[in-house]
Amino acid sequence: MASKWVPTACGMCYVGCGIRVLVEDGVAVSIEGDPNNPQNQGVMCAKGKAGIMNLYNPHRIKVPLKRTNPKRGLHEDPGWKEISWDEALTTIAAKLDGIRDDPKKLYVQAWEVTGDCFYWLLALGSAFGTPHLMGNASATCGKVIHPVEFFSGGGFHQQPDLHYCNYCILIGTQFGLGARGAFNHITLDMAEARARGMKVVVIDPVGSYAASKANEWIPIRPGTDTAFALSMLHVLLNELGIYDARFLKHKTNAPYLVGSNGRYIREPGSGKPLVFDATDQRVKTHDDPTASDPAITGAGEGGRPAFELLREHVAKYPPEKTEEITTIPAATLRRLAQEFGEAASVGATMTIDGVTLPYRPACVDWAKGPQGHKHGFHQSWPLKLLNIVMGAVNVPGGILSTAAAGKRPHRWWPEGGTDGLLEEGGHVLPLPHPKAFPGRTPTKPFRMDLAELFPLAPHFHTLLPITCQDRERYGLSYGIEMMLHAPTNSLLGSFGDLKMVESFYQSIPFIAGFAVEINETNLFDDIVLPFPSYLERSDFVAGTNLLIPHCGKDDWLWQIRQSVVEPPAGMRQPQEVIMEIADRLGLLGDFYRLLNHAFRLKEPYALQPGQRYPITEVIDRMARSWFGEEHDLGWFREHGVIRIPRDVEEAYIGPFLEARLPIYLEHFLQRGEELKEVISQMGLEWDLSDYRPLSDWMPCPSYNAIRNGRYDLIAVHYKLPYVYGSFGNENPWINEICERTPYAYNVLVNEDVAKAKGISDGDEVWLESPATKVRAKAKLTQCIHPQVVGVAGHFGHWSPGMPIARGKGINFNSLLPTDLEHIDKISTALDHCVEVRLYK
Amino acid sequence: MAQPNQEENFMEEGNVAIINVKFMGDLRALLQQRAITLALPPGSTVGDLFASLCNSYGEPFTSRVFSGSGALQHYILVFLDGQNIKELGGLGARLGNGEVEIVMLPMFEGG
Repeated sequence: MASKWVPTACGMCYVGCGIRVLVEDGVAVSIEGDPNNPQNQGVMCAKGKAGIMNLYNPHRIKVPLKRTNPKRGLHEDPGWKEISWDEALTTIAAKLDGIRDDPKKLYVQAWEVTGDCFYWLLALGSAFGTPHLMGNASATCGKVIHPVEFFSGGGFHQQPDLHYCNYCILIGTQFGLGARGAFNHITLDMAEARARGMKVVVIDPVGSYAASKANEWIPIRPGTDTAFALSMLHVLLNELGIYDARFLKHKTNAPYLVGSNGRYIREPGSGKPLVFDATDQRVKTHDDPTASDPAITGAGEGGRPAFELLREHVAKYPPEKTEEITTIPAATLRRLAQEFGEAASVGATMTIDGVTLPYRPACVDWAKGPQGHKHGFHQSWPLKLLNIVMGAVNVPGGILSTAAAGKRPHRWWPEGGTDGLLEEGGHVLPLPHPKAFPGRTPTKPFRMDLAELFPLAPHFHTLLPITCQDRERYGLSYGIEMMLHAPTNSLLGSFGDLKMVESFYQSIPFIAGFAVEINETNLFDDIVLPFPSYLERSDFVAGTNLLIPHCGKDDWLWQIRQSVVEPPAGMRQPQEVIMEIADRLGLLGDFYRLLNHAFRLKEPYALQPGQRYPITEVIDRMARSWFGEEHDLGWFREHGVIRIPRDVEEAYIGPFLEARLPIYLEHFLQRGEELKEVISQMGLEWDLSDYRPLSDWMPCPSYNAIRNGRYDLIAVHYKLPYVYGSFGNENPWINEICERTPYAYNVLVNEDVAKAKGISDGDEVWLESPATKVRAKAKLTQCIHPQVVGVAGHFGHWSPGMPIARGKGINFNSLLPTDLEHIDKISTALDHCVEVRLYK
Repeated sequence: MAQPNQEENFMEEGNVAIINVKFMGDLRALLQQRAITLALPPGSTVGDLFASLCNSYGEPFTSRVFSGSGALQHYILVFLDGQNIKELGGLGARLGNGEVEIVMLPMFEGG
């Protein structure tokens, strides 16, 4: 019997752990973690271990299909008929050719980041010339964290420094305990941090996996994070007087003088913001090297320092006032603020590898939860401010920016720009990163997703189901005529109200997409292209180690994915399929220009117009270009991963960053005024209240619905580590876990609330939102806020192609009303807290 | 959308640089053109080319390409004869008789 262990990268979710697969006689029989791979340090999760069951799923799609039933709908049988690759690609190329003179009629739903497909689909879309490229999965997650992090940290995401943090507050996230990038690495780091005494406080409506490991779980009413954060800031800045003045003076815009109109006082001529130097009592430009003590209190030149305005502003949010909003007792909040402020150790330093750095062993981390609200940006931003005022950003113990800077194999580094503030984020691939500073000038939109009316957002796809209902209202005289999509099930996970998504997809005359299995998105396809298992694929980007690796001084990495078993006869690699589509359209040269740029390929490694390549040759070129001739594809096939040491500068970029971080968002005023003019010209009604330089708490529609008695509960979504971000719902082993735990397929209801309604544990109930009404089974628990219903995962499948997952659990997103009133006007996040009724 | 002049009046034949410009990404849809040919004075720079394009295409082009500070937006890529202008001096790079590709990419996203 031929037997071998093959190193590759897991593809069961976006993380991409290093794995070794035992292959016997061409059959994958076991998977284990690769102990040499820093991404997971040999550890695996349940999803990864269950990957073999995805590979041998009898319901996988292995040949191209076309629909024979012209009627498309959520519950329409497409009437699939097998076709040849040539017929499939000829049809797709002909449809694309039909709209090439008006390329904006193409919409590409590209999210599938376990491998290269994401980048290749986006490159095809850009070469074709459409602006409608959807590069993110969720209707909320990522909408705020990335734009905030790139202008206030420098990288793509954030992580608490688990190596040195002593006090970690997690808000709306299960970081290191149930979710997030580099999950299996940070889970070990989290365990070690807790073992050495780091205190974890979880603030979340749901007493989740993270809460179960925390020192303290504090339930909060959904959609009130702003109030909590502003109150914490008030206690720290005004009651306790704890903040890092030195950091604020020299590394933020805290000393920038602000006039009565909210704008910076600027030097005539240069236009540079001014500060007041307390040393010689003179007003100077922010970058004047003689400004040794820029004041953050007091006044000067007709203006006041931004920090003074912040302190004054947060004084409007004393804990006694916010207790009514958040339900967090004032005494609890004051204690948290004191513990957090004291743990931050303002003024302390530590030395690592001979380099002395500020030491701030306390931080606040947040992710999906605060973003998913009507005012998602302002729910989230003041949480980051808690770290900034402590100077706990990109220093040991504080909040760290993921993959923000590096020196090997290329150099990438965040840079300052407009007004001396952090403007250019760092990324190993030279691609435009999502950021909210300085934003773009709003204009009358030609894009179907109204991107032009969201000048501070990077994501826009949540608008598509809304605008397609009434294009004329937005001055749009065309419609999307074709959609290409990755195998991700966006219908269930990327939007809200399913009727709205159905209507949007029905409005698109032709849809072609990849499929692992026929999920609910594929039910709308005219052509289905089979997508190989990750154990049959080859990818240069294998997971999200380039975006969300573990932080700190541990080695960074690059890994490739190689096929460990032969794919089924006729299966093709998705990159080669996309390449052929580009070639059939005569776009290969433009397509390669973009890929060569994205992957930094230069001669002699650059892809050449007029040639098509096997994907293995492309990966070989990329590997040799990045890591030298000795690290070709053959080397990676043997070793799987290359470890890349990080020095202190790369691990803790804060002191080495030549740019200031914002505490005051002056540019929001400018963008708001510009937008006001555009929407006025268009005759639109538009809520501009979010265009403010200092955050205020503004209620979600669900908050008001509860207050006026129309509904009595708020439904929220939470993540499960064994189904999070994965292709796992149709996996029988994952299903077994979900069936054995009461927290997956059931909805969580507070025990006292349920009993008052006459609902017992395990009862069948109706869960009714303004968008839909679904049948669910109640799990009674004390581990949930009394005003909240918790819905886990993304279940609720009905596709015949997913017989294991079918009819189990709830699809949370289907509960969400989808209209402009539920869209954050800064980030485009769809409100993810929804008013509901629960009854038998 | 306004269309650019193919040649400026002040230029005499033989005393111009012929520049082929190709648009990719959002700009292809915005301008409804894949490529144009422009005549510019010899010695013109990429910045001069953009000034000409802004003059021709107006505010919709200008507002998307430049940030408020007058710098190119971070999602705008410009290749001159296949080389990124960041490696050639940015907007000050000399055009020669160049092939220019101007790309407006989507913000690479996540979440």
